[in-house]
Amino acid sequence: MSFEAISARRRHLLSFLTLVLLLGASLSMQYLLEQRSQGRIAKLEQLRLLPRGEILRPALLGYHQLGADLLWLRVVQVLGDRVVRDKDYDWLYHALDVITTVDPKYVYAYEAGGIVLAELASRVDLSNRLLEKGLAPNPASWQIPFRLGFNHFFHLGDHSRAAEYMAQAARIPGPFPIGPPHYTARLASRLYVQGKNPEVALEFLEAMLEQTTDELVREKLQRRIRRVSLERDLQMLERQILQYADSKGKRPASLMELVSARLLPGIPSEPYGGDYLYDSKTGKVMSSTHDERMGVYVPADSLATRGDIE
Amino acid sequence: MRILSIAVNTFRENLREKLLYNLLFFALLMIGSSILLSRITLGDYHRLILDLGLASINLFGVLIAIFVGIGLVSKEVDRKTIYTIVSKPIPRYEFLLGKYCGLVITLFANTIVMVVGLLIVLQVMDVPITSLVFKSLALIFLELMVITAVAVLFSTFTSATLSAIFTLAVYMIGHLSGDLKEFSKKLDEVSQMVVNAIYYTLPNLERFNLKGHVIHHLDFGMADMALTLAYGLTYAAFLLLLASIVFQRRDFQ
Amino acid sequence: MEHSDSILKTAGLRKTFKVGFWGRSVTALEGLDLDVRQGEVFGFLGPNGAGKTTTIKMLMGLIYPTSGQAWLFGRPIGDQESKARLGFLPESPYFYDYLTGLEFLQFYGHLFGLRGVALGKRIDELLELVGMSHARHLQLRKFSKGMLQRVGIAQALINDPELVVLDEPMSGLDPVGRKEIRDLILRLKESGKTIFFSSHILHDAELLCDRVAIILKGRQVACGRVSELIDEGVAHSVEVVIDGLGPEELARLRQMADRVIVQGSQVLVVLPSRQQVGSVLELIRGARATLVSLTPQKGSLEDLFIREVKNKQPELREAV
Repeated sequence: MSFEAISARRRHLLSFLTLVLLLGASLSMQYLLEQRSQGRIAKLEQLRLLPRGEILRPALLGYHQLGADLLWLRVVQVLGDRVVRDKDYDWLYHALDVITTVDPKYVYAYEAGGIVLAELASRVDLSNRLLEKGLAPNPASWQIPFRLGFNHFFHLGDHSRAAEYMAQAARIPGPFPIGPPHYTARLASRLYVQGKNPEVALEFLEAMLEQTTDELVREKLQRRIRRVSLERDLQMLERQILQYADSKGKRPASLMELVSARLLPGIPSEPYGGDYLYDSKTGKVMSSTHDERMGVYVPADSLATRGDIE
Repeated sequence: MRILSIAVNTFRENLREKLLYNLLFFALLMIGSSILLSRITLGDYHRLILDLGLASINLFGVLIAIFVGIGLVSKEVDRKTIYTIVSKPIPRYEFLLGKYCGLVITLFANTIVMVVGLLIVLQVMDVPITSLVFKSLALIFLELMVITAVAVLFSTFTSATLSAIFTLAVYMIGHLSGDLKEFSKKLDEVSQMVVNAIYYTLPNLERFNLKGHVIHHLDFGMADMALTLAYGLTYAAFLLLLASIVFQRRDFQ
Repeated sequence: MEHSDSILKTAGLRKTFKVGFWGRSVTALEGLDLDVRQGEVFGFLGPNGAGKTTTIKMLMGLIYPTSGQAWLFGRPIGDQESKARLGFLPESPYFYDYLTGLEFLQFYGHLFGLRGVALGKRIDELLELVGMSHARHLQLRKFSKGMLQRVGIAQALINDPELVVLDEPMSGLDPVGRKEIRDLILRLKESGKTIFFSSHILHDAELLCDRVAIILKGRQVACGRVSELIDEGVAHSVEVVIDGLGPEELARLRQMADRVIVQGSQVLVVLPSRQQVGSVLELIRGARATLVSLTPQKGSLEDLFIREVKNKQPELREAV
């Protein structure tokens, strides 16, 4: 009797130990497999390996929104990594394309995807393609045309297309979160008339900054605001120099003379903490931090690159 | 040998299950329908056929595994057929193992039928059949074995309906757990621990998913294959041992 | 273990179940002590719900005792070797109904490692024994209740067991079917097997059993040889029929008897025991009446049973 009891206990112990052993073995194999597939790349690969939206859609058995949500979560994880190689953005676009095919009314995916593709990836082409896809299924969304307007204005310098999109956004009825912000209509009309004015650009950028919560985009916008305000200051200084020359018949010897001639209340501070350098021979003003001008906003449309130096 | 007798009897019992034939019929229908769909698609129809074929085999295999698996043990208990077997000199774990093997044989026969269907379609449509297709199919079958073990585990202590719900839940979480783990990196520590516990104790079924590799012609090395096979079999063994321990303690009322 | 011929033994076997959502404890069996010996037919009796099936399930290893112990062939229950010497027919058995009689027995034969010609021969013998040779290729779903019971017994005998445990083998059968099962049990006894069966039909037990145990609501109330239980438990009454008694004698008779029934000139008197027979006979002689008949009534398990139920009921009610 007692012999059997002991052997029964031993049997229990043995089966329990085997259980722990098997779990441990499967855990370590799982871990090993994970190591072999090298974390981050695997994540992106997964995005790349997503089946086409048209195929995925029926497979989701009606759970389109849930599927899109989960895929979106996955995309967000990849975006969080910051270090994304350029070619990865094709996969990102693919994933966003799948998400928006699975759930064509996922406005946030278009909007945020559009921002990421344009601002982080510098792939305005993909950003516009995604956003344009979202226009038809979401006629009541102002965000998508607004974003397209911004892309055309900011990245492509196509002010008339930008104005068209802004006008489209402005036509959506409703108070702000449902409808567009109040300034949209004004922006649209100003873009039509004086698209290349840095003042208009700044107004546009400030408006964008106001309604964007995403830190990455805000930072990007703030950079651009600084850059455009530098351009605005440079243009303003040059305008005043021209006016000085008109009235006095000669260019000022230094920028301070503009102040003493009461053309300026003071020299504006350079947004990057540098100085404004004035060449009295040519009448041109330069920044000590940026030796290039922003092409789009220079009245003569000179071929300057639009890069930031920071 | 006793395990084999029970397995063969279980296989015969499964063959009488009408559900099995319905699911098999739909699976073959879906695989076959890819021929029609490939005519109306643009571009890469190879991909569509493989997508649809592998997905059908996977999905219907899982449905069979779950809906036949949950009744495997609970039906024997409910119908009291287990009484005469347990009173024979057969340890309960042998009974459980026999039932499991019986369903695995059933699943194997089903998968073979579906695979033959797919191969015929691939042949007819001139889609190249790579070794990767077979690796993917092997891992699909491994996934079915793990799912069956999950269903058997649940059916040792709950009703068929509850087992179905639990097994479906494990199936879904098993495919999402990798993602959950990634998502949890942005959460607080407690949530991370919970998610990690789920991730490491539930099966990671995404490991058995090579469908993407097949479509995109990505290689899956033999070492990875062997490790994945070992992982799946070890996990299934773990589940079956757990099921045996639960089953051993159970009163058949 | 003390008796070398003890086949089945329990000591203080007890089982409580948890029922309902809150896990309320319900005692199904309260301290059972049984001792079944080699070669006997042992009846395990009690009304429905008394705990008979619970006990048998524990002995067969289907459920685990809450406390107490039980041995089969001197080994603790659950032991695989003792299970090999055992045959079991569950209550209203459910079998794989898609199998034919032959396949059904083959399956159970395989579980014991029987194969091929030996198994075929064994199955032929068993089908012959239970009178089911004609149903060899018939699916179990087409079997009648009696046929299922018989093929179930064949299944229990596939390993030529030393002990056969039958749970309610006669319930749900028609009189002919019951007679067949009774004959089968007696034949098994003749071939030297020990038989332990449960029943709520006392008549069957009386005809078959060497010894019985009676349980009521999980408690054992009697155990022993059928004849002993009846003798000690039930005082034997006597029925006397008398013709031509006067009213005076009738009045005296009423004091002695349990019941007096007057039918025309005849009187039926039921005496509580044999002791009163002498004085009744004297009374008849004194009154010059005629003794028509005198029948000693044999006690039955039924009487014992009913009396036990009556005795135990108040106490059991308190316990509950």
